[in-house]
Amino acid sequence: MCSASVSDSASDEENIMRIQNHPILKQFEKGKAVSFYFDGRILEGFEDEPIAVALKANGVMVHRYTSRDRKPRGIFCAIGRCTDCVMIVDGKPNVRTCITPLREGMKIETQYGVSKEDQVK
Amino acid sequence: MERYDLIVIGAGPAGLSAAIEAASAGMSVVVYDENSRPGGQLFKQIHKFFGSREHKAKERGFRIGEKLLAEANDLGVKVMLSSTVLGVYENREITVMTASQVNHVKASSIIIATGASENMLPFKGWTLPGVIGAGAAQTMMNLHGVRPGKRVLMIGSGNVGLVVGYQIMQAGCTLAAVVDASPTIGGYGVHAAKIARTGLPFYTSHTIKEAHGSDRVEAATIVEVDKSWNPVPGSEKRIEIDTICIAVGLKPMSQLAAMAGCVMEENPLKGGVVPVCDEFGETSLAGVFVAGDVAGIEEASSAMIQGKIAGAASALRMGCISEDIFKSKCTEYRRSLEQLREGMFAHKNRGKPKESTDEGFKLSQSLLQRGFVADVEISHYPGVPPAEKRARGIVPVIECTQNIPCDPCQDACRKGCIKVGTTITKLPEIDAAVECTGCGMCVVSCPGQAIFLINECVEGDFANVSIPYEFHPLPNKGDKGIALSRSGEYLGEAEVISVVTSRASDETSMLTMRVCGELSMKARFFRAN
Repeated sequence: MCSASVSDSASDEENIMRIQNHPILKQFEKGKAVSFYFDGRILEGFEDEPIAVALKANGVMVHRYTSRDRKPRGIFCAIGRCTDCVMIVDGKPNVRTCITPLREGMKIETQYGVSKEDQVK
Repeated sequence: MERYDLIVIGAGPAGLSAAIEAASAGMSVVVYDENSRPGGQLFKQIHKFFGSREHKAKERGFRIGEKLLAEANDLGVKVMLSSTVLGVYENREITVMTASQVNHVKASSIIIATGASENMLPFKGWTLPGVIGAGAAQTMMNLHGVRPGKRVLMIGSGNVGLVVGYQIMQAGCTLAAVVDASPTIGGYGVHAAKIARTGLPFYTSHTIKEAHGSDRVEAATIVEVDKSWNPVPGSEKRIEIDTICIAVGLKPMSQLAAMAGCVMEENPLKGGVVPVCDEFGETSLAGVFVAGDVAGIEEASSAMIQGKIAGAASALRMGCISEDIFKSKCTEYRRSLEQLREGMFAHKNRGKPKESTDEGFKLSQSLLQRGFVADVEISHYPGVPPAEKRARGIVPVIECTQNIPCDPCQDACRKGCIKVGTTITKLPEIDAAVECTGCGMCVVSCPGQAIFLINECVEGDFANVSIPYEFHPLPNKGDKGIALSRSGEYLGEAEVISVVTSRASDETSMLTMRVCGELSMKARFFRAN
């Protein structure tokens, strides 16, 4: 386990969003640093943290677009209840990213309705 | 089929306390929780709890969670995580899904302790990414170390809104404002005061009209509401923020009890639809109990006691404890619970006009409406020593002006300078005859951060003001900055003359600043230059 310090190569966004020194909790225990794909881009996060947390740290806000009106949705409840944050994870749609742990090399994709963008009619 | 003496559904404060109580009576206990971590919401609670020593007051929620878990493990309680209870059937049988496997499990008693879910507030743009629940903010920042946003607007000024708003600031985000449709702040005044003295506005009698942005929140418009809750045209105010946090109350998550066939009732005082239960939490189904928020929205402190009562009742049902022991335990637990159910914020007093304290002191309307006690009001309260006493040396100034169930201050002072008495909702009083040593234990123990040390007897035309401090970075001795008032207004220059953090204070530091003498009863926050 290592603390959540972010490497020099991390984006500015990640440096802003990750809490480095919390007045009460100090450092956050995190798994090892891993890379993952978000819509083809390579991003960094920590193993075992929820996918949604890693995306948030990288400034990703939109997780999916609704099927009928194409309205954006992101994190809402963060405890696996509301299903607003579902995405396509390793090809599987409707995965609740707020309670699914991040793994090295995961392929996370924005969900359109219940599919990938190019599959939408 | 697996069998246990007791099945507990939910590993939060109520469920774990119930499991501990039953297991210590010798019962075999299993606890199921759908989450991957135990503790319910306790591990997101980084503030110090209220109540008395027996309610684990002045301990931070996540530390209480750690203790409960350790205790449950020591007693051999089986805690099954990522396990969703799908149904509760006749004769106390349940189906539970762990991974993708469904199991049937049976027990002599079932305690449903499923907690609560957040109420939502639909408004134009509320589905935009960046509009989140207060619980989501806590999950992100306090469990996972990621800021929920850069500039956050809090909707709702109940204790959840106030506590999470403060935690948002502790996480290093900017809190833009706290908004509440009610004409008064819903939560404890001391929680509001911690936010107000940093200079943050409260918009009471306001609601959110719209969240702006195409793919994410970029701003919000709030609007004033009249006495009938209708928007006042022309009072719209645009606030530039990237996150809107909703904290408009909780409702019991009672679906399992309903599907089990418990007689249910709609009870607005309890926050929604709850199972009807007796004083031990037993529902209309024999051997099926409820404890904690599922039985009616309260605090984690009361949930823990309700859990103990239900746990003891299930032990009595099994014959694991005698009727006499049960009675004496319950008498004690009920007394402890009743202590928490007193005061102006108690369910039974909801909706009553907030005009004066139980002792007859006039309540600060400024605190209720704007989050801070006005300068002219502060000397009215019994925790604030008169000018003659202050002129003689260092004194505590206790700005605790509402009847809330809390008394760690009277244990903190070894000299016995602070008195609350046995009714823990009473306002603390200063015993003018006792001399203060200036140790500051009261300052760092008060869960409401409402105690300050004032020393007007320092050289020159200065005064020393000691305040509780819980932000990063922690200022250092010698740092220059400004002193802020209770409302967060600039008062004058200040210099840090000491910063003390002790193990007993659990990360609450006492910062002492030197200010111009006339500011001794006004300066309540320090901001470094």
